[in-house]
Amino acid sequence: MSDESKISVCNLYKIFGENPQGALEKVRAGMGKAELQSETGHVLGLNNINVDMPTGKTTVIMGLSGSGKSTLIRHLNRLIEPTAGEVYVNGENILDYNEHRLRRLRQAEMSMVFQKFALLPHRTVLENAGMSWAIEGKNRKQYAEEATRWLNRVGLEGQGGQYPAQLSGGMQQRVGIARALTSNSDIMLMDEAFSALDPLIRTDMQDLLIELQDELSKTVVFITHDLDEALKLADHLVILKDGFVVQQGEPQDILLNPNDPYIEAFVSDINRARVLRVRSVMKTTSDTPQEIAGEVDANDTLESVIATSRGDTTKNYRVMRNGRQVGVLHMRDLVRALVPRVASDASGEWMLEK
Amino acid sequence: MATYDFLFDKLGLRGWCGEEQGGGLSSMADLMGQAGGESDTSLWELPFPSLDALNDACSSVPQSRDLTRGLERGFLDIKDSLKVVVDPLTQPLSWALENALWIMQSVPWWIMIPLLMLITWGVGRSGKLVALVAACFGFLAFIDFYDHTMQTLAIIFVCAFICVLFGVPIGIAMSRNDRVQKALIPVLDMLQTLPPFVYLIPLIFLFSVTEPKLYGIAIILYAIVPVVRLTDLGIRLVDKDVIEAADAFGMTRRQKLFGVQIPLALPNIMAGVNQTIMMSLAMVVIASLVSAPGLGVLVLRGIRSLELGVGLLSGLGIVLLAIILDRVTKAALARINAEQKS
Repeated sequence: MSDESKISVCNLYKIFGENPQGALEKVRAGMGKAELQSETGHVLGLNNINVDMPTGKTTVIMGLSGSGKSTLIRHLNRLIEPTAGEVYVNGENILDYNEHRLRRLRQAEMSMVFQKFALLPHRTVLENAGMSWAIEGKNRKQYAEEATRWLNRVGLEGQGGQYPAQLSGGMQQRVGIARALTSNSDIMLMDEAFSALDPLIRTDMQDLLIELQDELSKTVVFITHDLDEALKLADHLVILKDGFVVQQGEPQDILLNPNDPYIEAFVSDINRARVLRVRSVMKTTSDTPQEIAGEVDANDTLESVIATSRGDTTKNYRVMRNGRQVGVLHMRDLVRALVPRVASDASGEWMLEK
Repeated sequence: MATYDFLFDKLGLRGWCGEEQGGGLSSMADLMGQAGGESDTSLWELPFPSLDALNDACSSVPQSRDLTRGLERGFLDIKDSLKVVVDPLTQPLSWALENALWIMQSVPWWIMIPLLMLITWGVGRSGKLVALVAACFGFLAFIDFYDHTMQTLAIIFVCAFICVLFGVPIGIAMSRNDRVQKALIPVLDMLQTLPPFVYLIPLIFLFSVTEPKLYGIAIILYAIVPVVRLTDLGIRLVDKDVIEAADAFGMTRRQKLFGVQIPLALPNIMAGVNQTIMMSLAMVVIASLVSAPGLGVLVLRGIRSLELGVGLLSGLGIVLLAIILDRVTKAALARINAEQKS
């Protein structure tokens, strides 16, 4: 796993307070967040985090507010210094970097998208998009082409001369994404990037991000408090609670096998048919079975497949991605996946018998 | 026979005090007391154990006038060595003021007034404002206050420019370092609350009244405070998210300062410049007491020789000048705001 991971976080601790090292001893000895706060007045931000973020994939870090997710993402480019632990990017421990090398990392290897957009209000949209180039000392002429290309790609044709305040929230965040893309860095950190947007615009932006990911395959680290969003975007899902990792893995897998009451509570409210996707229920194969009722896309939700099949559980579908077959979906597997684990404990035997 | 005799007796300090009954100079109150005979001091009349009261009981304790005199002597003692340092440092200020005064007065009015109107247009882009400037200067020139007005304006231009030149960097230093801020805030508080006349007293000792830097320094000290404070405030108020974004994209401290912090703090800095200009106008009037030329001289003439008309008119002139300077700087501020917010 760690060979193909772009970013690895190892044994990371972050404690806020007067004497973090002293508090660290207590945390390592097993003291919890609430206890530490009441006894020493220190806030436990992150508690022994170990996460590998795969190259070219989207890693979503999910948790409620106060779970430490924003603190964690800021460790990846050292906007926050850890109390203990290591952060490896491309195999190098960035905590060993000096100021100059760290700046290079932030300029060339990582880019970041913020919840509140954080655009420069006194610069035009084009200048904002070309910010990383400007930081490296390039002038407007040199970055105009590249910045315009990405502005066009995120759907902001002809807006380059505007100022950020003249745009709506969704458009401002498109500028934020264009700014991150223009830097041509492999890693994109997104801190609750869509949380401040209206639901409809948020869905648009999620779709945009998925499209861009299909095209570019960047290593995206995405922070969110919204499980639906997490499940929609994630290749690798990390769930944080009170500063530690409760569960991490393939999102659909977490949904199907939650290992903690906290996650079960999260998952139970989810409309599984709408969230689970064909790709996580299908059998991966390029063979074409005999009876094919039709074709579905790998990213279709189960809900839409049920609608297509009109509830017939005997059908099989060919699963397509970008016009090529990637697998086969049996409707029986689909129905099985719709039952939450708590319920399936009782009925699982019967299901298997069938 | 003084109230606090017992204190020195009890502490056994009588010997240190010298002779039994405090001789030497006696205050008027002492003489009055002696004349009125021995008085029983009741608790109600107990004097505060001040220097003078203690001196009554023990002549080795200095009187309060010795304190002020000592302060004066101390200042006079270091004056010469202070002058060696301060004099060459502040000499450019004298030159700047002399040259500004000379230029503003030697350029003929038919160039100067249109030039000022042009500057107003450049700063504010408002026809109304230009008309206001023309009307005010026209009026002041019409009642033969033109020279005085130009002198006042020259002093303000020089002093406000120097205030910004030093004030903005000081404000930036304060915003970047909490310790610098903590150290400077009491100084700024003192400069702001010290009555303006008090600045003049030590300066008169230091410099000759014929040197323009005498009033120049007084004006700068008084007027530099708002631009320092508002620069510090403005930079500290810059959106934390934007600063974080600048960090996340790897800006250096210098790029952050000039590319993000100063541009975003500019509305506040300009508000500080506006205040600085207004305060230097207030001080330039008071500074006429120490030979600063300009409209203040006319105000002073009105007071000294009870020329009511001159005093009132020159006061009006200062008001007009204040309005113009305020409006023009505010127009500049509004334009910056509009650029950022639009």
